[in-house]
Amino acid sequence: MTQFLLWAVRYRVLVILLTVLSVAIMVVPGFASPITVGLALDRAASMGLIAVGLTVLLAAGQIDLSGGAVFAVAGIVAVVLQPVIGIWPAAAVGTLAGLMAGAINGFVVVGLGVNSLVATLATLLAFRAIGHWITQSQPVSGIDIMVALAISQVHWGVLTLRAGLFLALILLLHVWLTRTVAGRNLLALGSSPEAARSSGLRPGRMIILAFIGAGVLAGGAGVLQSLAVNTGSPVFGSDMTIFALTAVVVGGTRLEGGRATALGTLGGVLTLATLTTGMEFSSVPAYVQEVVTGTILLTLIVLDRFARQQAAMT
Amino acid sequence: MTVPALEMRGIVKTFPGVLALSGVDLTVQSGSIHAIVGENGAGKSTLVKILSGMYQPSAGEIRIDGAPVALASPADAARFGIAMVHQELNLAPDLTVAENVFLGRTPRRGPFVDRKALHTGAAGILATIGARLNLDAEVGGLSVSQQQLVEIAKAYAAGPRIIVLDEPTSSLSEHESQALFGVLRRMRAQGTAVIYISHRLREVLAIADEVTVLRDGALAGARLREGLTATEMIHLMVGRDVSDLFPKHAATIGEPLLEIEGLSDGLRVHDVSLTVRAGEIVGMTGLVGAGRTEVARAIVGLGPRTAGRIRVHGHDVAPRNPAEARRAGIAYVPEDRKRDGIVPSLSVRENITLPILSSLSRLGWVRARAERAEAQGQARRLGISPPDPERRISLLSGGNQQKTVIARWLAARPSVLILDEPTRGVDVGAKAEIHAIIGDLVSQGLGVLMISSELPEVMAVSDRVYVMHEGRIAPPLGRDELDERRIMALATGEEGL
Amino acid sequence: MSTAPLVKPRHVARSTLAVAGSLALPIAILAVLFFGTAASPNFLSVSNLLNVLTSMSIIGVIVVAMTFVLVSGGLADLSVPATVAMGAILTLALQPVLGTIGAFAAGVLAAGGAGLLNGVLVGYARINAIIATLATGTVILGVAQWVVGGVIVYGADPTSGNLLKGRIGGVPTLVLIFAAAVILGHLLLSHTVWGRWTRATGDSLPAATAAAVPVRLVSAGAFVLTGIASGISGGLLALTLQNARPGIGEGYEFDSITAVVVGGVSILGGQGSVPRAVGGLIFVQLLTNVMTLMGVRTPVQGLALGLLIVAAVALDLAVRKRGGA
Repeated sequence: MTQFLLWAVRYRVLVILLTVLSVAIMVVPGFASPITVGLALDRAASMGLIAVGLTVLLAAGQIDLSGGAVFAVAGIVAVVLQPVIGIWPAAAVGTLAGLMAGAINGFVVVGLGVNSLVATLATLLAFRAIGHWITQSQPVSGIDIMVALAISQVHWGVLTLRAGLFLALILLLHVWLTRTVAGRNLLALGSSPEAARSSGLRPGRMIILAFIGAGVLAGGAGVLQSLAVNTGSPVFGSDMTIFALTAVVVGGTRLEGGRATALGTLGGVLTLATLTTGMEFSSVPAYVQEVVTGTILLTLIVLDRFARQQAAMT
Repeated sequence: MTVPALEMRGIVKTFPGVLALSGVDLTVQSGSIHAIVGENGAGKSTLVKILSGMYQPSAGEIRIDGAPVALASPADAARFGIAMVHQELNLAPDLTVAENVFLGRTPRRGPFVDRKALHTGAAGILATIGARLNLDAEVGGLSVSQQQLVEIAKAYAAGPRIIVLDEPTSSLSEHESQALFGVLRRMRAQGTAVIYISHRLREVLAIADEVTVLRDGALAGARLREGLTATEMIHLMVGRDVSDLFPKHAATIGEPLLEIEGLSDGLRVHDVSLTVRAGEIVGMTGLVGAGRTEVARAIVGLGPRTAGRIRVHGHDVAPRNPAEARRAGIAYVPEDRKRDGIVPSLSVRENITLPILSSLSRLGWVRARAERAEAQGQARRLGISPPDPERRISLLSGGNQQKTVIARWLAARPSVLILDEPTRGVDVGAKAEIHAIIGDLVSQGLGVLMISSELPEVMAVSDRVYVMHEGRIAPPLGRDELDERRIMALATGEEGL
Repeated sequence: MSTAPLVKPRHVARSTLAVAGSLALPIAILAVLFFGTAASPNFLSVSNLLNVLTSMSIIGVIVVAMTFVLVSGGLADLSVPATVAMGAILTLALQPVLGTIGAFAAGVLAAGGAGLLNGVLVGYARINAIIATLATGTVILGVAQWVVGGVIVYGADPTSGNLLKGRIGGVPTLVLIFAAAVILGHLLLSHTVWGRWTRATGDSLPAATAAAVPVRLVSAGAFVLTGIASGISGGLLALTLQNARPGIGEGYEFDSITAVVVGGVSILGGQGSVPRAVGGLIFVQLLTNVMTLMGVRTPVQGLALGLLIVAAVALDLAVRKRGGA
């Protein structure tokens, strides 16, 4: 029995994903259809893009709480500029806004030496404020609903543009973390900043680039979301950060740095997507969804800590 | 006259409140092994940290092959061909052995890691230094001595011009040490300048060509090894006779105060038994990683304890944390003063009274006068300088910080005091003072268990000595049985426990 | 025989930066007062300042408790909006059943229970406080809404808030409550065993542990304090407003952390005091008031606050690095 439990804890991501999936299929009528799967994947994609960026940052021993706000601002920029420079240039500028947000985060953390938690807490406030400022706290509409439809179109039965992008990025992240020099160096940095520095690596540069990467991803996700619903809103992405963080931590990436897994993040994102989609389909009120998500996150975190203590003992 | 590989001239280094180096010179030739020796706190580590680019000198000049250089970062040092094997291991625990060996110069094919080259290269280097390690093992899971070998491999892999090794054999077995010496001689033959820091004088005499001795942050002397004796080195290191340094008080030995039977912690410590009697100074020594600190931590509840009996004054106790240990009469002064000893932002007074605060308070409210009296009393008794107990402890010297931590545990009125490396990183003057304090304590009936890696210290003051090796403990050696070679043999496992 | 110069610790004169660091706050408050007087005729009026003081009081109670979280090294408690809502919702929802006092006590107890959960997760299971409190906050807020079926709760007895909305001895009741919290909090942190333990735990967890400090209890206790304080604030808010929406505590976590950090309490733990946190609160509230009077829109205020946090933390770090203060 203990052996099974230990195995379950070690592969907990898979176990939880399968459990949630099974429950969803049993409880929610029509869950196991391609349409639902496609919808869930599309949902997952936005959060997933942010989760990819978060995974990279956590690997380096940093954290970013501002993802949701960057998501909102980038989308707003992309929509607001549409009448001025056209849809695709506006989208590009929106993504650029994400890049700049990441650069600002990087500067505050590396240049000013502020702890990434506090820094991104502050930039979260600032970016969200910017979002409210630009839109006067009202949602703004885009100019072309056809683009929205095109983006939301489902290919091959299950994949939307975003879902495909997300899956591709996960694959890229996996390769990057396991097989590239830059990826391994980043993990070294998260594992021991001292060792990284004394080996001649440049922690400052690596961290700034990681923040920029996360910014681009959050921005890109925000742009895609705004295009898909043809709206930019300052309250978009409010839950994104906690969902993305949940997904990444559920997946086994370590908060303190040095250990990150792309496949784990994939599992975490899929689990959460299944959960939220399933609950929505059974008309579960939003607050109950919050309770369930929060409880699962807590359970997983506690399990993760327990698993780590076990590993340290052997 | 060949240009030396390395010249450091007039190096001064200050930290807030401390003058660590006051104008040190060092000259190292290519193709030579140059040892730097000195007591703890003499400045050896500071000097080489400057050389490796981790610190910047407050004043002074560094020349490599005759040309002045500025080493502003480890990357700079690496660029000038300086490789460093640190004393506190500097590895990434989540990466593999092979990855750590090549960290910062990973062989690559485009953006990808060239795994084949990584493996073959790492395998080759490990073979050269005689280390048998699994290339794909995560470094974090290795033992301390294995990690040290990875550090050495990493430095060797850089093909350095100047290699610095800081206490490299502190956790190596005799066999592994000899293998290391072979590697160093090979590097010397290839023209590398090897800088070797150690306070194991026997090793220094065996391997070095030249010796620089530091004392209290200054240069005490630079000699050729030819004709140099251990006594002369000690004299330079210490400035006076060793016997003065460790005054031995005679004390009457009484009842057993602390009896440990069959202690295990499920990790590093196996079946350890020892006794400390009233009036006794019991020394405990061994190589780094032997498990001595783990034993102490297990006793007071800072670490796990899976088996064993602990008796104080004959009564069974089972402390689950330092507070319970204190109530049982056992006090522990930790090994790592900076991390586990001082609470840096608090004052000397607040540091001293921390474990006994409840007894100096009423209904949770701290009685300021009682606290001040206790703190001042302890500070005076131990000669803590400067004598102002309101001063922030982080501003005191290492020696005085150590005295404060000792004072803290004396305030707890223990029956048994466990001291873990009590004079590490402490200047010579304070060292003598601390030993005088210890002598004083035992003559008042306390029992002291002193964990130390410094053989001269252990041999000079202990009434009995326990030697640990890989988690196990040997039966104690009496004062008349104390012999450096015998202790080293037990510590390295040559002589079975 | 003469020896080389002994290693002597030099008395470190307090660096200019350190002195600047500790005077910064009073100077900043004075600066805002001057600026405010110049910027708006309404600023320096008794009614305006009294308003600021009153609105400060509700979050002020939380600020006092949040100080303990930061000083003990607990990083931050992000579940505050949820526990405030819990306190508010239960106070009004249970009022018909338990009476005003009973319902208020129930709300505070529930919020304290949430704080206990946080405390166990962070203090004993040693889970990162940010993650833990974010997660528990989500759960608690959901539960609070679930309990009342997701509706907005209204007060059954409009007179129940009168005492709070009024004054005692000329001073608004809420301000008195805040003052009491400040005094209690300050005495607790600076003069009791618990306070000393809190500072030691935040300054160096391993050293405090080795020095027989019950670090897990101390870490957990800080979160229980914020839970209770948030419950109290929520209850007070609910009684004054006579309604409780789930979003009632929105932004309180950031506002209280901002105040504490701006006041010079380090997020890394060990350093700081209740008066400093309150000073930070006064500064932030005055600044917000000035900006509102000047017609500066909320989002821009948010931006200013974000910049403030960064500036305050960067200054604190700079002072620390020079080894001063």
